[in-house]
Amino acid sequence: METAASQAANAPPPHILVVDDDREIRDLLARFLERHGLRVTAVRDAREARRALPHGHFQMVVLDLMLPGETGMDFARWLRSPASGHASIGLVMLTAMGEETDRIIGLELGADDYVPKPFNPRELLARMRAVLRRTSDTARPADATQPRLMRFGGWTLDPARRRLLNPDQVEVPVTGGEYDLLLALVERANRVLTRDMLLDLLRGRQAGPFDRAIDVAISRLRRKLEDNGRHAQIIKTVRGGGYVLAAEVERL
Amino acid sequence: MTIWPRSLGTRTAAVMMLMLATVQIVGLTIHALDRVELQRLAQTRDVGVRVMSLYRSVALAAPDQREDVLQELERRGTDQRDGMTAELLPHPPADEELPQTPIGLRRPIVVSMGLVPVPGPARARDIVMLGNSDQERLLIGMHVPDGPWLVIHMPLPPPRIWHSRSFLVAFVLMTAAAALITWWATSRLTAPVRMLANAAEALGRDVRAPPLPEDGPSEIALAASAFNTMAMRIRRFVQDRTFMLTAIGHDLRTPITRLKLRTEFIDDEDMRRKMLADLDELESMVSATLAFGRDVTIDEPVSTVDLAELVRTVLDEAGDGRPDLADQIGYAGPHHLPFRGRPVALKRALSNLVQNALAYGGSAQATLSCADGMAQLLVEDSGPGIPLAELDRVFQPFHRVEASRNKETGGMGLGLPITRNIIRAHGGDVVLDNRPTGGARATVTLPV
Repeated sequence: METAASQAANAPPPHILVVDDDREIRDLLARFLERHGLRVTAVRDAREARRALPHGHFQMVVLDLMLPGETGMDFARWLRSPASGHASIGLVMLTAMGEETDRIIGLELGADDYVPKPFNPRELLARMRAVLRRTSDTARPADATQPRLMRFGGWTLDPARRRLLNPDQVEVPVTGGEYDLLLALVERANRVLTRDMLLDLLRGRQAGPFDRAIDVAISRLRRKLEDNGRHAQIIKTVRGGGYVLAAEVERL
Repeated sequence: MTIWPRSLGTRTAAVMMLMLATVQIVGLTIHALDRVELQRLAQTRDVGVRVMSLYRSVALAAPDQREDVLQELERRGTDQRDGMTAELLPHPPADEELPQTPIGLRRPIVVSMGLVPVPGPARARDIVMLGNSDQERLLIGMHVPDGPWLVIHMPLPPPRIWHSRSFLVAFVLMTAAAALITWWATSRLTAPVRMLANAAEALGRDVRAPPLPEDGPSEIALAASAFNTMAMRIRRFVQDRTFMLTAIGHDLRTPITRLKLRTEFIDDEDMRRKMLADLDELESMVSATLAFGRDVTIDEPVSTVDLAELVRTVLDEAGDGRPDLADQIGYAGPHHLPFRGRPVALKRALSNLVQNALAYGGSAQATLSCADGMAQLLVEDSGPGIPLAELDRVFQPFHRVEASRNKETGGMGLGLPITRNIIRAHGGDVVLDNRPTGGARATVTLPV
């Protein structure tokens, strides 16, 4: 992969701590991630993870929620507390599919993303890359955790439940790709996001030609935000290939 | 019989009121018959005393003044109020219409006459009594010693049973009071039955409905306790099923995750893609089984969602999944329709319908409308439609339309059952039929 290659050339590869109690998954995941240019240390439970954390200069923890002994939830809570010394580290959670409540609690605890098992390895990689980009972003707030709600132009984005609410507090359904796109735009409000950045975000999510996927997703988001395509006020098109969210974002 | 009321309370009240009325009528009749006896007794005493008083006045008067005394008494009118008349005749009274007064009536009158003291020499030589209660009058002749006969016409009105006003008032008051108490008692007695019916209804909608209070009369407490036991068994059964399906799902996800990771180490790209597709299919089967086993109301809180946008999002995603059919997907209806529901579950339900339309019918036209508090969504395709014999079976779990048992269109046979579970959990329903112009049509109704 090009992005992986260029990343590897410019900087030392990001170091990932994988916490999963299944030895096979742990080893396979480590091999897979290493193959794609990441450094991986894999441990089997929260106790080992605590022991490994101070020594590795980790950029991210990939955490299975169903762990023997201390649960993944408890470990995530500790990790996000100032006591751990790694409160701003990237955190991607793995858990049983469709466990809506797990996901909400996980994201409220400060996970940067959530990938249900069984996951598609390439989608996991794409999501990890997106989180890595976000956590290495200098504009990232110091407390590192996602705000509970983000409000822009009357609209509300609820990261814990991946929801978009209109000014009347009615949920406007969005697809996973649309949500990721909107979150990226909202997190970098008033900054131009190039097409390449957005393409990376959608990679592994959507089938078909990515170029078109971006335009389609943006036009659907505009429809949902009631943002007239020709005179768009919220998501503006920047000449030369890019989009910008033109609104003040209030973090609640 | 249409007069017979349907409600148990009204029926019980009606039966009790009927019984009460019967008892009252019988009781009051006995009471009335007693009154007749009493009235007759009073009447004979009255007749005896009045007749004898008149006789005394006449008999004690000087023989030449007797006519004047009689006229004087008549003039004073003390005895005319009920039509009693008296005259002096030289012979005993006679009337062909009147028989001899029977001894049963004569004796108490004569006994009553004894209550008025008359000096021995003035006592009547003879008493003739004609008439009976049947003729409603008496003709009494009394022979004054050495003088004429004093003949008295005496009306004998029949006893009036229902005459008393207090009688009527008492009857109405008693009936009203009894009706009130009956109504109160039966509504109290039948309330637990209604409660039981409501609880059964609530259980049908939500397995986790609160248990019934097990108090009140022993039979009701017993029924409530039996009902609670039944509800608990149903709950346990549903829970067991959910646990089993969830356990299967959880146990399968680890090997599927491993296999998906292993595909990354297959060098043959074509093989890798195919294996991944197989695993995706396996995963979707597991997740469909899980979704079917799971109670949708447990997982997700209710919130307000834009149903119109939800439908369009489902269509968008379906179009992304089948770019070749993207032109065959369309939406008609309002831009917005706020709806209270469970967005993730609803999306799954509608997505199943749209996926089916695309898989079996090659197109999906969604039409949303809202009238009279009901939202209606039509999902129509232009395929061959559904054979009539299959129409009511397609909602059975694990049932698949026979012709579609192939890899391209085949699923687990759980899509429609899941959809129906979710829609029904929202208080709505979904039906399938064939369009007159060809193709299948799913109609979803949801209360807004």
